[in-house]
Amino acid sequence: MLSYIIRRLLILPLILLGVTFLIFCLFSLLSPMERLATYVNNPSVLKNPQAAQRLIDKYHLDDPFPAGYIHWLKSLLKLDLGWSATANQPVWEAIMQRLPATMELVLYSIIPVILVGIWLGVISAVHHNDLLDQTIRVTAIIGWSLPTFIFGLLILFIFYGILGWLPPGRLSTWAQYIVYTSESFKHFTHFITIDALLNGRLDIFWDALKHLIAPIITLSYISWAYLLRITRSSMLETLRKDYIRTARAKGVDEKTVIYQHARKNALIPVVTVAGMMIIGMLGGVVITETVFTYPGLGFWAASSAQQLDYGSVIGFALLFAFIMVIGNLIVDISYALIDPRVRLE
Amino acid sequence: MENKNRDKVLEVKNLKTYFFTEDGIVKAVDGVDFEVYQGETLGLVGESGCGKSVTAFSILKLLDYPGKTVEGQILFKEDDLLKKSEEQMRKIRGKEIAMIFQEPMTSLNPVFTIGFQIAESLKVHYKMSNLEARKKVIELLEKVGIPIPEQRVDEYPHQLSGGMRQRAMIAMALACDPVLLIADEPTTSLDVTIQAQILELMKTLLKQFNSSLIMITHDLGVIAEIADRIAVMYAGKIVEYTDTRSIFFSPLHPYTFGLLTSIPRLDMEMEKLESIPGVVPDPLHFPEGCKFHPRCGFATERCRKEEPSLLEIENGHIVRCWQVDRVREEAKKIAFTRRLAVVE
Ligand SMILES: Nc1ncnc2c1ncn2[C@@H]1O[C@H](COP(=O)(O)OP(=O)(O)OP(=O)(O)O)[C@@H](O)[C@H]1O
Ligand code: SF4
Ligand SMILES: [Mg+2]
Repeated sequence: MLSYIIRRLLILPLILLGVTFLIFCLFSLLSPMERLATYVNNPSVLKNPQAAQRLIDKYHLDDPFPAGYIHWLKSLLKLDLGWSATANQPVWEAIMQRLPATMELVLYSIIPVILVGIWLGVISAVHHNDLLDQTIRVTAIIGWSLPTFIFGLLILFIFYGILGWLPPGRLSTWAQYIVYTSESFKHFTHFITIDALLNGRLDIFWDALKHLIAPIITLSYISWAYLLRITRSSMLETLRKDYIRTARAKGVDEKTVIYQHARKNALIPVVTVAGMMIIGMLGGVVITETVFTYPGLGFWAASSAQQLDYGSVIGFALLFAFIMVIGNLIVDISYALIDPRVRLE
Repeated sequence: MENKNRDKVLEVKNLKTYFFTEDGIVKAVDGVDFEVYQGETLGLVGESGCGKSVTAFSILKLLDYPGKTVEGQILFKEDDLLKKSEEQMRKIRGKEIAMIFQEPMTSLNPVFTIGFQIAESLKVHYKMSNLEARKKVIELLEKVGIPIPEQRVDEYPHQLSGGMRQRAMIAMALACDPVLLIADEPTTSLDVTIQAQILELMKTLLKQFNSSLIMITHDLGVIAEIADRIAVMYAGKIVEYTDTRSIFFSPLHPYTFGLLTSIPRLDMEMEKLESIPGVVPDPLHFPEGCKFHPRCGFATERCRKEEPSLLEIENGHIVRCWQVDRVREEAKKIAFTRRLAVVE
């Protein structure tokens, strides 16, 4: 097991190198001048050819391929990702500032998705073709067939437009004022819900939660439906396996048969799919945050793309790729944890 | 027969198990009777699809959907299993009646160690602690001839060869000293030398544990090695039922006769095997009259119209056929040396 993890960790730098290389190739499609634009915070510099040339030399934007790539990698390691015109701050800072909002949204979506999706998937399979199974499946099929942006707009329309319950954004103005300007509000985790509780501000907690509910539902519905479907079919297939009959023939009770013998096997394919799905959720983040004007990474990435702010887009792409690679690593390790055949290879 | 004064462990009476599929009712087991006495081995023989496994699963009440036992009695120590609740059945499964399955490759759970899987029935039925169970498992593994059991106990099924897995299955089945063991083609998927070893092992252990055994197989060679009595099944029904010697020396049913003349023998010149012509009938469209008539060399007009019933033709020799006398004559004509070799 340990050697498996070590082997997987050893190839990690190689994968990251490959990923950065691909992104650099994209970056190289831009002219040196356009690339320079991603590094300057003052557009007037670009109008002065000499100053521009000096900066092009400084960032090695004119260098031939290998040298240019190495210099670019070096600046990445120094966290110098250029300037985000959209955010009006360095790309790295823009990312770090928006990451907690997105993490808060994603974590609150993923955990229920995994727990509830798998739980309902198993129940659905066990109650195969019952009314319960049918209800769960119909709800899942709806989630599965509604595109995120349509579903998000529907939620926004109903719960904000008509009912006025769940407003867009991350906080109401009064709460924003307290959270971002008041000295007494301490930021421990940068998750507003948790910080509000730690500061003993239930009103702010409630306000943050109200803003989170709609994006969470939007972001998780499709993944929840997908995970449920995969778990259900995997579980149904597993329950037909010979070793399930063996377990029953030993006199093992039905609960143990389902939740131990069957579920552990059924989860093997689910882990792979769930991993990919969670990574795919990052794409949903862009749409969801845009629909609800939720000030996270996705919202920022979408506005940067609209404004052809290459620096921000590349920064977002790098971050996205990095999360993908780490996510896959986690999937592989959890895969090995449940399947001895992988572990002992 | 000597069995008559021994205790009956199991008595199956008029068992009917049907599958209610969308295409129609599959009468997989359609009125089967047999009994198993204390310490004896009953062979259940027949071609693929004749209902052997379904009979076994009916006894343990582990039928796949949409299977259902619609009629009959399964008396185990004089109690009807069909009347028992799921809860009561769980106490019997693995403890009183244990089963060994056809495919050691797929019958063990790939994500648990074999030690865990064998220990499970000990924990369920005897409430043993992990430590006690582990000790007992190592003992069992040793008994079924698995080398270095202290190490094997922590290995996963995929780390064991087919023969070793089947030994582990046997250990699992014997863990709680069952009164009755049902082995569903335990050697079919193994190669010949391993088959012989496993059979030898089963014979030894049966004596040691004094369990009764229902040995399910389509291989008469296997059955000759181990069974005291044999029930031959065809299309969900028993067609011949008697002791092993009679089956091999004086078969009275054309189907048994056909099976006997098609046993391949390694130690004989490969003379042309007369396998039974035709195919097993489609269970959704069984032929009228005797279900064997389309393939039967003895068939007459009557066979096509009327189904024969099971009759005791000679003392303890039960047959379902209209043409018993002709079969007896035919069987006498054939030199039975090869069959002799099988039995001795
Ligand atoms: N789940 C099921 N649904 C429908 N029909 C079934 C099902 N399981 C078994 N049957 C039918 O029951 C009949 C008997 O099957 P069974 O498995 O008992 O045969 P078998 O004698 O054990 O054959 P084999 O030697 O191949 O194991 C077959 O015709 C099969 O089609
Ligand atoms: S009853 Fe007729 S068809 Fe059936 S086995 Fe006997 S001889 Fe053959
Ligand atoms: Mg079978």
